[in-house]
Amino acid sequence: MTDLAHDGKRDTVARLEDVSFELRHKLLELCGTYEGAVHIGGDLSAADILTVLFHYGLHVDPADITNPARDRFVLSKGHAAVCMYIAMAMRGFFSYEGIVQTYGLLDSAYGMHPCKVQLPGVECSTGSLGHGLPIAVGMALSARGRGETHRVVCLLGDGETGEGSVWEAAMAARSNELGNLVAFVDRNRQLMTSFAEERVAFEPYPDKWAAFGWDVIMVDGHDMSQLVGAVDAFPATGSDRPTVVICETVKGKGVDFMERNLAWHAGSLGAADLERAIAALESSRVRESV
Amino acid sequence: MPETFTFGEILSARSVIGSTLAELGAQYPELWVLTPDIGATLVEFRDTFPDRFLDVGLAEQVCVGIASGLAYDGNIPVVSGMLPFLSMRALEQVRSDVCYPNLPVKIIGTHGGLVGNGGSTHYAVEDLALMCALTNMTVTSIGDPLMVGEILRQSMTMTGPLYIRLAVGKKDMVLYGPGEHKVRIGTGIVARPGTDATIFTHGTVVAQALQAANELAKDGRAVRVIDMFTLKPIDEELIVRCALETDGRFVVLEDHLAYGGLASRIADVLADRGVRLNSFERLGIPQVYAGFGEDEQLRDKYGYGLAATIAATRRAIAAGA
Repeated sequence: MTDLAHDGKRDTVARLEDVSFELRHKLLELCGTYEGAVHIGGDLSAADILTVLFHYGLHVDPADITNPARDRFVLSKGHAAVCMYIAMAMRGFFSYEGIVQTYGLLDSAYGMHPCKVQLPGVECSTGSLGHGLPIAVGMALSARGRGETHRVVCLLGDGETGEGSVWEAAMAARSNELGNLVAFVDRNRQLMTSFAEERVAFEPYPDKWAAFGWDVIMVDGHDMSQLVGAVDAFPATGSDRPTVVICETVKGKGVDFMERNLAWHAGSLGAADLERAIAALESSRVRESV
Repeated sequence: MPETFTFGEILSARSVIGSTLAELGAQYPELWVLTPDIGATLVEFRDTFPDRFLDVGLAEQVCVGIASGLAYDGNIPVVSGMLPFLSMRALEQVRSDVCYPNLPVKIIGTHGGLVGNGGSTHYAVEDLALMCALTNMTVTSIGDPLMVGEILRQSMTMTGPLYIRLAVGKKDMVLYGPGEHKVRIGTGIVARPGTDATIFTHGTVVAQALQAANELAKDGRAVRVIDMFTLKPIDEELIVRCALETDGRFVVLEDHLAYGGLASRIADVLADRGVRLNSFERLGIPQVYAGFGEDEQLRDKYGYGLAATIAATRRAIAAGA
């Protein structure tokens, strides 16, 4: 994927980079005000993907959340819920203040894993890993059966692709020729308690998806221009092959002391460390724009 | 303002499960420990016996299946994880690969009840109903961290499968002094004597039942508390004895669906034995998928918190009196 192909999209890419920077900023802010643990590591690895989806790729309208023609998004890695809530809030679905003020509290609609009943703006209740892709297959089958042309997009963590149900769904998607289904994998190469390849041999990872009959797109999951390119490369929804976008990412991306650090699978930030985290985020942005 | 804390602190923390398994690993060379990426408390065992430790990643079904294979070959596998996933996703493996051949696989895990603030995907609220339904399965729910070690020790010589339910573990307080009660699987513990009514309970809410009994003692009520930490096989004789000795006034308190858990098992015993009560109060989770909140807030919200326990016990004592 070359930048050349997206010459006309420099502004779009710059806009999305601003959004994802603000999204990370808000995530850290919440991690500093909420007293319980936030899955900040996997939130930060998914932040650019959720940005490109909610602010570029998905055809959704915050003012019309039940429109049958909308794209469906399934957050299979449900523990990144707060990253999705904030990405959606920045798109106008929810109020960010509502999230940061009530997150995790009794009777809040915003908690550790998304709940469709309490928060109708999300498409699907998830949290138990390995469940999202089968549900997305069902949604994609339904769309095709009804002759609708919207897409179903599902974000998985690489760790959860250890679950057999993911591969059962992968097989079903190809068997049913679901070209309207796109999976994104946040390949941050960390599970909760170990680095992925230490315990589970995921590699050769793209080959596994290809062997199940999926078209595979590989991107740097923190390079907005590549993420935009992946969205632009989605096949027509009437095609017969599902697509997976494997996003190479870094757990904790943007905050140096959280990056690739097992300790920061989840946690909470005190005042001094919140300041340190925000400084790290800001300096990482300067570094990257040089 | 919150303090900084990380998952890494949980990773490095010692736990009763971790240290007991490490101790038993030395004693039983056939002991294996398996986990689907929930190995935070198993570090000691993992580092001491790396050849008998297996983290399969996020894959509960294969974790239990492998445990079955190990047990067929004479090993003693302990599967440690989060109960919502072990009790439901791996249920058929537990039933057909462990219980059916009656293998000595132990399943131990956390997140039994409305604990941990993860929302309903992360609360095991029907696990005891599911596990009690399985032929050959022994089912326990433990509230006292020291008891966890004792049960694990006893389990090493058990011939069939065992389920051990915990809440979150680290927040549970020590209920009993060392040697205060003889801990034997299948025998309920009289955690507090009394003759006006009995509260039957298990797991993390035993502490709440004791607190309720303390409050009621201020009004001169002597409420018995039974820690029925073994749900299966259930201590039938103790249930019948409590009916006789506490005027047939029962309260059942559990962090589990109010129907399908301990209350249902006690009701079965009473019906089967023809025992009639004066009152029977069930305190547990109603038919809801609970939302977010801290453990105590959720228990209050869904009607089985401390105040509700005190009120229900008063009702039980007053009924028909």
